[in-house]
Amino acid sequence: MRVSERLDVGLRTLATGLSFASFGLGGMLLSITLFPILKLLSRDVDTARRRIQLAMHYTFRVFVWEMKMLGLLSYEVVGRERLLQRGKLVVANHPSLIDVVFLIALMPEVDCIVKQALWRNPFTRGPVSWASYIPNSGSSERLIEEAASNLRMGRSLIIFPEGTRSVPGQPLSMQRGAARIAAAARANIVPVTILCEPATLTKAEPWYQVPRRRPNWKLVVGETLSANDYAPVNEPPSLVARRLTEFFLSYFTNSLAALGSKR
Amino acid sequence: MYSKDEIHTRLARALVELFEIDPAKITPEAHLYQDLGIDSIDAIDLVLKLKEMTGRKIQPESFRHVRTVSDVVEAIHALGAPEVPAAP
Repeated sequence: MRVSERLDVGLRTLATGLSFASFGLGGMLLSITLFPILKLLSRDVDTARRRIQLAMHYTFRVFVWEMKMLGLLSYEVVGRERLLQRGKLVVANHPSLIDVVFLIALMPEVDCIVKQALWRNPFTRGPVSWASYIPNSGSSERLIEEAASNLRMGRSLIIFPEGTRSVPGQPLSMQRGAARIAAAARANIVPVTILCEPATLTKAEPWYQVPRRRPNWKLVVGETLSANDYAPVNEPPSLVARRLTEFFLSYFTNSLAALGSKR
Repeated sequence: MYSKDEIHTRLARALVELFEIDPAKITPEAHLYQDLGIDSIDAIDLVLKLKEMTGRKIQPESFRHVRTVSDVVEAIHALGAPEVPAAP
């Protein structure tokens, strides 16, 4: 590496550490200050949840801005308006650790299905509970019903059909859970294709491994898929879920290719 | 009282209808999860369908140890004759 490149990588590694620290500590701080205050000021559970999710949204917006200001990343979003409607199931591919940060930064009020481990992590435990996110634990049946019920009440939900981050260089692999939730709720689906190049914060490398040049995140929000399109009334939900899962696979594989993904 | 062959045929039909499984794959040894891709939620849908088919109340517990197609056939056979005329 040239000296200037090495310096750039060095500085970005430092900035990455700073970002992770501010994320973790910021989350803890909010959990003992702003979030409990919002809860106290709210007359009911639902109002508290909405306000806290809105606070999360602004916090993540600031966080994304912080990372951009530190020169850590650049990003572009296409079709953001489609994310702002209520009761939508937002479905995205999952290349990096911070995909959900971008999505929440784009949506003022949204639920999330979150892996169980975050409830045990001391940094993320507070925020995920205050924000009323849904843990991916216990019985699948319960999870699907809880998620579907929220959607039917007009609450949007973010879910990654892959279930975990994509493995770089491998074809995408979709699990059926997201489609199951969509079918149960008969929700309208908003697909978001996330391209991160050069790939970073992936499953394949440690978080502190910073790429050679500054990565760019491109989020492309696709056209809404209505329940009538993917779930004909007489079709059993088990079949709807299978067809929809296959659709997610081809949709994301094709849209990533169209965006020029080098995976 | 249905024969096991009859049960297998009806089960195969249910599997195709619910999950669009390739009929050629539905052999007695076929493993529900590994070979046919039937997960825990699918199992619930399947049990509901079988209740319709057999006209009997089926306890989820009786399906706890079911792993292959022939396990399902055995479990249904063990339930005996339907209480009410079963749906075709």
